[in-house]
Amino acid sequence: MALLEHMLVISPIGDIDEELIESISVNITRTFGFPTKLRSLIDDVCFAYDPDRMQHYSTIILEKLASKAPEEAIRVFAITTEDLYIPILTYVYGEAQLGGTACIVSTHRLREGLSSNSQAYRSRVIKEAIHEMGHTFKLRHCKDQTCIMHYCRSIKDVDKKSDQFCRYCKVLLDDEKKSLEKSISPAS
Amino acid sequence: MDSAKVLIVDDELIMRESLAGWLERDGHDIEKASSGEEALEKIKDTSFDILLVDIKMEGISGLEVLKYVKENDPDAAVIMITAYGSISTAIEAIKAGAYDYLLKPFDPEELGVLIEKIIEHQARVRENLFLREDYKQRTRFESMIGQSQPMHEIFDLIQDIAPVNSTVLITGETGTGKGLAAKAIHTNSPRCEGPFVVVNCGAIPEHLMESELFGHQKGAFTDAKETKKGRLELAHGGTLFLDEIGEINMRMQIDLLRVLEDRVFYRVGGTQSIKVDFRIIAATNRDLEDAVKDRIFREDLYYRLNVISFQMPPLRERKDDIPLLTDHFLRRFSQETNKPIDKISREAMDEMMIYEWPGNVRELENAIERGVVVGKARSIQPEDLPIFHSDHVPSSNERSLKEIQKVHIIQTLEDTNWNVSKTSKILGIDRSTLYSKIKQFNIQKPA
Ligand SMILES: [Zn+2]
Ligand SMILES: [Zn+2]
Repeated sequence: MALLEHMLVISPIGDIDEELIESISVNITRTFGFPTKLRSLIDDVCFAYDPDRMQHYSTIILEKLASKAPEEAIRVFAITTEDLYIPILTYVYGEAQLGGTACIVSTHRLREGLSSNSQAYRSRVIKEAIHEMGHTFKLRHCKDQTCIMHYCRSIKDVDKKSDQFCRYCKVLLDDEKKSLEKSISPAS
Repeated sequence: MDSAKVLIVDDELIMRESLAGWLERDGHDIEKASSGEEALEKIKDTSFDILLVDIKMEGISGLEVLKYVKENDPDAAVIMITAYGSISTAIEAIKAGAYDYLLKPFDPEELGVLIEKIIEHQARVRENLFLREDYKQRTRFESMIGQSQPMHEIFDLIQDIAPVNSTVLITGETGTGKGLAAKAIHTNSPRCEGPFVVVNCGAIPEHLMESELFGHQKGAFTDAKETKKGRLELAHGGTLFLDEIGEINMRMQIDLLRVLEDRVFYRVGGTQSIKVDFRIIAATNRDLEDAVKDRIFREDLYYRLNVISFQMPPLRERKDDIPLLTDHFLRRFSQETNKPIDKISREAMDEMMIYEWPGNVRELENAIERGVVVGKARSIQPEDLPIFHSDHVPSSNERSLKEIQKVHIIQTLEDTNWNVSKTSKILGIDRSTLYSKIKQFNIQKPA
């Protein structure tokens, strides 16, 4: 049997700036240590639309993404321009399956007051992408306000935090990466 | 921010799950109930820090859940969840003691700020409690008592391992004297002239742990008015005893591992590395191997600690020591209370020899203390002992040990109105032990 090359799949939904996708890929590979591959898993998120709230239900999108993940994908990261929500909250910047396969980020609110090609906007999206991907590696929110796993309640918080993990989250991420590598490497 | 134990009560599955998912990512420990009835069941067994309760539910309503919590666990914060149209009920709930109410769907900022405020407040309460309790703990330290075979083995072992510098892990049920064993190792070691510093990992509130262990530099945070040495630094040249090591959180496990590997650390807010030399003794009543499997305890830290390990025997396995221990506690408490009770009646001693002592030496100590306080005669009578004060208990020669335990547990549960936390405290055992006994003896609350 041929060995599958394991990778993180990046799945843009709709019209997303190519340069932005490129820098997300580079940053995700650098942070999580696995190669990334661009793959459009779903065409749109209409199936998750709630006409009353006029937003998209992110948890359902995650389920669909996970079900469409190719065999070699260890994680799937999706990005959309649509506004996302979970039932209990008015909106979310993104959502992830904790310790699971899929995560998603919405650029809708991260754009706030910025042009789509500004560095500040790009940096917000990358931070939230790594943050959500971190959740799929079992990381939870961190109390350290500069840590990328810090939960941001506002855009101000997003701008304030760094694009790095604090030392605790780094250790926990390394643990998870190691156990993942162990589980996917072929048995000798 | 510390993590909290949270109960979500909502009959709508989608709301329950989405709230649970959100709070779980925040690192909180979540339980869910789909009705008021289920919520009350859970509240009876567990004490929660925060409850998020939907006002409108079939059957037992959110308001009724609130009332029950306020009567039984007043320190818990209850947040009512409401939809448009039931605001007046929400205001009624505030009057009945709810902490606040939230309109669903919530603004993420609103919910986050609210939870943070509650946790900070509860942390402060815990901090005050801790500062008082800690003082009490420090004032009482005794030596190990016992002439039974299992204790002789422990004494021999301590003689052997005391002189070496290796890390020691002491296991055993609560109340078996793990702390005394640690102290004995220190006293018999070349470090005996140095300090013996105790860190009760289960008692120190999470947010204080870092500065308790590592100390802090003046100005490291708002309350850091002075530079303060942590317990690690205070243990320099001596022994650091980490009691209830199974209770420390992930962050502290990561920090401790680093110290154990490098013997170097930094004060909170400090830039200068501090080199320390101490021996580590850790103790736990948890099964750390299980905790490692469940990934709540780091494997690398476990192997660092588990260099030499031994288990303290439970009191039921060294019943020969009961008279000796009784005598010792009697003398102490009659002195402390100034009451001339210095003997124990034959009948009382017979009962004590039969009893299984799930809370071990600590339970025995508490029993004697109570006996001395309530006793009217010169010697302690069976009815003075809390373990046998129930009237409907048949005489001891008709009962097996298990029956005695069962009867005693039921009696205590009844005394505390079936409050598991209180019962386990009185019995001197932890809640999980109590639960397993309730299951084992098939104890059921009368309908
Ligand atoms: Zn998050
Ligand atoms: Zn962190």
